[in-house]
Amino acid sequence: MLLELKNIFKWVNSGGNRVFLLKDINLQVEEGAFISIMGLSGSGKSTMLNVLGMLDTFDEGEYLFNEQPVHQLKEKHRSRLFKENMGFVFQAYHLIDELTVYENIETPLLYKKIKSSERKALVSDMLDRFNIVGKKDLFPAQLSGGQQQLVGVARALVSKPKLLLADEPTGNLNSKQGEEIMELFKQLNQEGVTIVQVTHSEKNAAYGSQIIELLDGRVISR
Amino acid sequence: MIKNYFKIALRNLWKDKTFTGLNILGLTVAFTVAILLSIYALFELSYDRFHKNVDSIYHIYASEQTPDGPGVSTAKPIPFADALQREVPGVEKITKYMGGNVLITHGNKELRMEAAYVDPDFFSIFSFPVIKGNKQHLIEDQSSIVITEKTAKILFGEENALGRTVNILQQGQQRPYTISSILEDIPAQSTMRFNLALNFKNQSDFVYADNIGNWEKSNHSVYLKLSEGVVPTQFEKATRDFTALHYKDDIKDFKRDGIQPDKNGQYIQQRLLGYKDIHFATEKNGNADTSRLYPFLILGIAFLVLFIASANFINMSIAKSAGRLREIGMRKTLGASKAQLFFQFWGESVLIYFMSALIGIVLANLLLGQFQTIFRTSAAFGNVISPSIVIAFFIGVMVITLISGGYPSLLMTKLSTIQSLKGKLEVTGKNRLRDGLLILQFGITILLISGTLVLWDQLEYMRNKDVGFNKEQVIAFPLNGKREDAQAIQLMRNELADTPGIVNITASNNILGLGKDGTSSTSAMGFDYKGRGVKTNILIVDHDYTETLDLEIIKGRSFSRDFKSDSLGLIINQAMADQLQEKDPLQTQIILFDSINYSVLGVVKDFNFQGFDKSIEPLTLFLNPKWNMRNVYVKVSGNNPLQSMSRIEQAWAKIEPNAEFLGSFLDENIDRTLTRERLMTTMIGSGSILAVILSCVGLFAMSLLVVTQRRKEIGIRKVVGASVSTITLLLTKEFLKLVLIAFLIATPIAWWFTSQWLQGYVYRIDLSVLTFLLAGGIVLVIAIATISTKTIGAATQNPVKSLRTE
Repeated sequence: MLLELKNIFKWVNSGGNRVFLLKDINLQVEEGAFISIMGLSGSGKSTMLNVLGMLDTFDEGEYLFNEQPVHQLKEKHRSRLFKENMGFVFQAYHLIDELTVYENIETPLLYKKIKSSERKALVSDMLDRFNIVGKKDLFPAQLSGGQQQLVGVARALVSKPKLLLADEPTGNLNSKQGEEIMELFKQLNQEGVTIVQVTHSEKNAAYGSQIIELLDGRVISR
Repeated sequence: MIKNYFKIALRNLWKDKTFTGLNILGLTVAFTVAILLSIYALFELSYDRFHKNVDSIYHIYASEQTPDGPGVSTAKPIPFADALQREVPGVEKITKYMGGNVLITHGNKELRMEAAYVDPDFFSIFSFPVIKGNKQHLIEDQSSIVITEKTAKILFGEENALGRTVNILQQGQQRPYTISSILEDIPAQSTMRFNLALNFKNQSDFVYADNIGNWEKSNHSVYLKLSEGVVPTQFEKATRDFTALHYKDDIKDFKRDGIQPDKNGQYIQQRLLGYKDIHFATEKNGNADTSRLYPFLILGIAFLVLFIASANFINMSIAKSAGRLREIGMRKTLGASKAQLFFQFWGESVLIYFMSALIGIVLANLLLGQFQTIFRTSAAFGNVISPSIVIAFFIGVMVITLISGGYPSLLMTKLSTIQSLKGKLEVTGKNRLRDGLLILQFGITILLISGTLVLWDQLEYMRNKDVGFNKEQVIAFPLNGKREDAQAIQLMRNELADTPGIVNITASNNILGLGKDGTSSTSAMGFDYKGRGVKTNILIVDHDYTETLDLEIIKGRSFSRDFKSDSLGLIINQAMADQLQEKDPLQTQIILFDSINYSVLGVVKDFNFQGFDKSIEPLTLFLNPKWNMRNVYVKVSGNNPLQSMSRIEQAWAKIEPNAEFLGSFLDENIDRTLTRERLMTTMIGSGSILAVILSCVGLFAMSLLVVTQRRKEIGIRKVVGASVSTITLLLTKEFLKLVLIAFLIATPIAWWFTSQWLQGYVYRIDLSVLTFLLAGGIVLVIAIATISTKTIGAATQNPVKSLRTE
């Protein structure tokens, strides 16, 4: 078992009323799984993904990652856990505009304090693998959306995470580019990377081995 | 990692050229000015510090009680120094000191130079190191002379000066002296300046030889070095018996005249002024008052200028940070810690600051020459720089960047990841910091501008004040040649007799204002009149003095060539007449110099014969054309005074071919006495211009940002029917409110400061509310002009454009 959510609740107080963003979420993610989270806008998909990615907190419940209770960890340990195990892919790519393709991919390694020679090797691997060696000195603004997302995925994978979290990774792409990214995800999953993705599209969701549907912060089908 | 930070910092700065440019421009200008001002202030503060013993060297002066309150006297009689060292314990070394101008000749070179007549101990008290020749026992023998390296160069060029003989004109004779030692050039920060030093015993007989053992005549200063462990105040107390013994006649007279002693029962109290304070000392109520306010004020301005530029930096950084939130969020999800992010953003400000500081240093170096000319200083990097100053500068810059770069960085890194990824800045406290900083900036600006205006007013007031004599049409110049004074004057009269434009010629022993040669002097005396002690300043004049200077005789007559007996006549001023307390001053007979009977011929209206910020003291004019006159006065007619000036110069060149002509109009002489005020006005004035420019750069940047941030709001308002003027007003109002608040805060402070400053002047302007309103008005107009360039543009834009982007 890679991670487990037990009875997670998250709410905000709005004018004296408690509005639930997540309501009694239970989820188990096995190593090697490929889970798609679906739902309407505002159903809590992204919030759930952020909770999984330790970017957001919750108000009640338990979160176990590798048998460790995340909600009880200190900020420092939590961020180490995060750094070592997770990669994030965003709908809007979120590349750093001022850095080149190469430097964008390198950044997570810098924060993990990996030595320069090893960094070079890891980044080169990624560039090879995604066929973007020729683009390594370009800035994000000089790439197409699909290429940017490719860099985004490469950056998420460069530190060899156990879990890849993707928030509508194809949302800003055309159908052909989207398909390519999804094929890539499928291939990665076959290589052993655990993936949790949030998506609107049934077609993309079907790439996953399990689909979870949310409505108003509640799991309605799985 | 560092490389990565550095790279992204440079790329970021490059991307935002407007803001980077504004920031670097503002900071560079601020650094340049702050560095120049600091050099100046540090230079002033380091005055006389080069003397190794500076902490134990003192100038001894006396506080004397007079009918007008306590006064200061620095002149000492010849036996004073020796007696003090003998009779009062605690004096390690002591020296007499008297400066003077001498004519030195060597071969066919003939030069006027500053001489210091001192005792041999002088060179072990003060640190004027010998570079060549005898290092100990300087000027112990009376035929030797010590000169500075610069003087040696002037006299002998590259030749060896040591052991050579020069002649000095003393008491009408050329006396030979052998150069025994050569001193290092006197540092720029020395209060004492001289070209050559001689044994005090070489002074003219009427100064030294005639007065050995005479306590009645005071004519020189005395400096001493206290033994280790002696406390100055204790020493001052210990001199009381000494004073009572040696000044008993004076004290008896004081008692007779009913003068009140000071609170310790003393009529004359010897006091010590630390030599390190001498550059900053002024007289106040019979005491030397030390104030380093001026250099600290300058440092303060330097600091304020830097503050304004830094406030701009903080405001721009915070405002711009909104655009970088995504980057921050992204870096956090990639595993960056808060500390790493903080150092990244702080590093960017360090980069900007050090870049600006470096350019600032270079610019300051380039501008130093002009700065020195404008502010008449020899301050330079060379004479203030020291390892501790360099380290202090470095730490100072780091601290400033830590505050101004660190705060925005902290704000940015504090936000949660999700928040920053969404790219929305949570607005809390509604820009309170920004508003506060803008208010402070404009407050400082208004403070400096109103300070400048008040200073300027006062300066103009003093320049244009009626000083009681004709300052526009009178040229004065010193008698700096070899000829005897009376002869030189007579030759001058003959030479200019029929020259058109020359109205009158006269001479006196003192100058009015400060002459082109930079000297001024006063003579004073005291005598008993009808059983009372009377003090008066004295002026020895030639014929035509009152006519040349257009002094107004209000009673009696002026000196006249028609009366031989006028050499025993006096002209007094109103202040003197008041002091004599006679119903008819013209009936007054005064017995002076033991038995000579002088009678008052006339009373002249008070005129400012001394400083122009002093009240007018009693003055007595003596007629003695054969006296040692130092200055010639020539009155010229109103048309073409400059031509008259050159005619006088030609005439002087004919009479004294080797002497430089140092003539100037008396109003220039008055201006010269106001140097300090003018410098201060220029400094604060340039500070305030800079403050205005920098504050406006900040304001411009802020309006630019507000306009972009509120683009959508402006668009919506226009769609629902707002007019261009209401939108402009809406955007401008916010900033004008800040300027108004700044005005309300700054004005009382400015008022308080300037009125305190004006207290130091006897003749001063009345503070007017208008001056302060003017300062506020200037700032307001400039602020409106700055903001409206952006706001009007935003208000006139087509709303469809701004709404489409959403």
